[in-house]
Amino acid sequence: MDVVRISQVTRTFGSVTAVDDLSLTVPQGSIYGFIGPNGSGKTTTMRMIVNIFYPDRGEIRLFGDGRPETSRDLVGYLPEERGLYQRMSVAGLLEFYGELRSGRSVKAEVASWLERLDLASRASDKVETLSKGMSQKVQFIATVIPEPKLLILDEPFSGLDPLSADAIRSAILDLRRRGVTVILSTHDMHLAESMCDCILMIFRGRKVLDGTLSSIQDQYGEDTIRITASSGVAEAQQLPGVEQIRDLGQTQELRLTRGADPQEVLRALVARAHVTSFSLVKPSLHDIFIRIAGSAAEEQNHANA
Amino acid sequence: MRTHKILTIAKRDYVATVRTKAFIFGLVLAPILFGGGSIGMSLLKGGPDLKDRHVAIIDHSGVVADALISAAKEKNDRELFDKKTHQQIEPRYVFEVIAPASSSKELTLALSDRVRNKQLVAFLEIGKDALRPPKPADDSAPGTSEKTDPDTRVSYYTNAGGIDEMRNWLNGPISDGVRLARLAQLGIDIKRNQGLSASVPIEGLSLVERDEKTGEVHEARKRGELEGFFVPFAVAMILAMIVMVGSAPMLQSVTQDKSQRIVETLLGAATPFELMTGKVLGSVGVSVTSSLLYVIGGTVAVNALGVAGLLPLTIIPWFYVYLLTDLIMLCAFAAALGACCSTPQDAQNLAIVLLMPCLIPMFMLVTVLRQPNGMLATVMSLVPPFTPILMLLRQAMPNGVPGWQPWVGLAGALAFASGTVWAASRIFRVAILMQGKPPQLAEIVRWAVKG
Repeated sequence: MDVVRISQVTRTFGSVTAVDDLSLTVPQGSIYGFIGPNGSGKTTTMRMIVNIFYPDRGEIRLFGDGRPETSRDLVGYLPEERGLYQRMSVAGLLEFYGELRSGRSVKAEVASWLERLDLASRASDKVETLSKGMSQKVQFIATVIPEPKLLILDEPFSGLDPLSADAIRSAILDLRRRGVTVILSTHDMHLAESMCDCILMIFRGRKVLDGTLSSIQDQYGEDTIRITASSGVAEAQQLPGVEQIRDLGQTQELRLTRGADPQEVLRALVARAHVTSFSLVKPSLHDIFIRIAGSAAEEQNHANA
Repeated sequence: MRTHKILTIAKRDYVATVRTKAFIFGLVLAPILFGGGSIGMSLLKGGPDLKDRHVAIIDHSGVVADALISAAKEKNDRELFDKKTHQQIEPRYVFEVIAPASSSKELTLALSDRVRNKQLVAFLEIGKDALRPPKPADDSAPGTSEKTDPDTRVSYYTNAGGIDEMRNWLNGPISDGVRLARLAQLGIDIKRNQGLSASVPIEGLSLVERDEKTGEVHEARKRGELEGFFVPFAVAMILAMIVMVGSAPMLQSVTQDKSQRIVETLLGAATPFELMTGKVLGSVGVSVTSSLLYVIGGTVAVNALGVAGLLPLTIIPWFYVYLLTDLIMLCAFAAALGACCSTPQDAQNLAIVLLMPCLIPMFMLVTVLRQPNGMLATVMSLVPPFTPILMLLRQAMPNGVPGWQPWVGLAGALAFASGTVWAASRIFRVAILMQGKPPQLAEIVRWAVKG
């Protein structure tokens, strides 16, 4: 069953089209990553799924044929802009959110989640006394209580230290194992690659990528060479057949022009520098993101000039 | 619409408010401010300036000054000292007779200088024909003395501001003195007819009523200013204050939830209508709590003071119906306005707009009290946003209002409150996630109409 089915949805704000004719299906139990530059329409799409915004055109169905307005209690939503009642106690706040969503007491779940995310000792403290990372963990708990079937997390890892990020990542993966479907947005391409079953890239309100990581990479083919050269990026400049060079510090990624022979490029490079490693790879999600968003930005700059 | 969500939000907002020090402080402070004003005024009134009040009299008639001096002596003897404590409680009135001079202007200028130098509080110039009754043509309204004959009038010169007690007191003795002198001129022995100028007391009474159940006719009750003015005024003011104090924080609360990004989390769990309704109910609950405390406290106080009969108990149910209607209306309005604001500063700027439905009737209280069943009072009390305060004021007055008016007024107010909640929820839904510059009025109206 598709947990989310978005069909030709458009949403505008005045003269700005935030989401343009978007269609998407999110299968049950998957982790779907939304990527895209700031202002591309990720948050608007999420808000429409949660029924905070209504589409101007098209329709959204949840859990089969359910409308977003009737399925709200099955959805947990973590907004990008976090906000908690600062003067409430941590436990009181979580019980309030749990009760608001389920209509029943959630004291046991609150205690269990606080224990799990290492916040049990702060249960009676006021929210205003927590650090930013702790507040984000509290907000995450407020989202997952009481056991939604669909989790929508807008930038769940932004601003978290590695320990807190690991704790949240582990909790998300655990929820997925228990059948919860997760949609998350992120600017961390490595995280999207490692966590998400499927990836949607929205750019200027339109869907530009949708599918599993490997299916997306297959669209671009093996057009990237990853090298480690003694002279770094310097000797790779102006190599024939190389369209773009990306210096990662210890390694460099060379994107080949269409039809270029990697062996020819390797021979030319060896003639100039001492190469210690060479591999032909598919473009990373980060690379694909840059290709789409970067070239469009360049076009925009040219148009403006 | 899910009731449990509304109640959960209402409960949180209610508990969060009543537990704050500001609420408890305000609960205690409001009656102190209300009562403190009266107590302060009584204290100030109870401690007047006891310095002698010197007044000069230029009596061209030759008869009024004696009457005034005699009246002042009587007043001083009667009121100067407290009979039990023998302490002075009133200032002494001292009159000084000044002989008329050939140059009236020079004399009045010299006396004016003495008033300016605080040697006198005022001076009087009594015309030489003051005893002559004014001709019909001279029967001008007060304040139009320029039309009266200077020889028949009494001129009072002073630089005293505000309420001039001396001038108020002088009206009686001067008129009495002139009347008695006129009678004496007619040959009436005024020493044997001392009561000739005595005023006749007028006693205020309510209307005679027939008991609908027993058919018995109840005699009219004594009616003072307290019953006719103070009680209706106080009841309407209390309603207005509770509504204003109860609804204004909603504006800040919604803006705060919005600026602290709490709203989006709440909207993930509840619809905008549920969120707004919950917040409105929480706010109404807080106001009802404080009003109950005031009503219970007020009832205990009036019983203790022995003036319980002045409080029309039939008003209390109406008080609460109007209170709830007005609160729901204004809190919903406040929620919509708060949703349109991005910062507390924006909210502060809109507070005056929110309070208009209370402020306009408050400005009209005295007008309505003067003519409670006049056209203006009737029409304004049937204008839905003003009905709760103005109709309650009229109902609390001894004469009451025609039976149909409260019901028609209430129906209008309920319909208007429902419309306000409906429109507010549409504005709230659109505006609550908007950031930046507050929307224009036309935009808000468009949201209310189109959603």
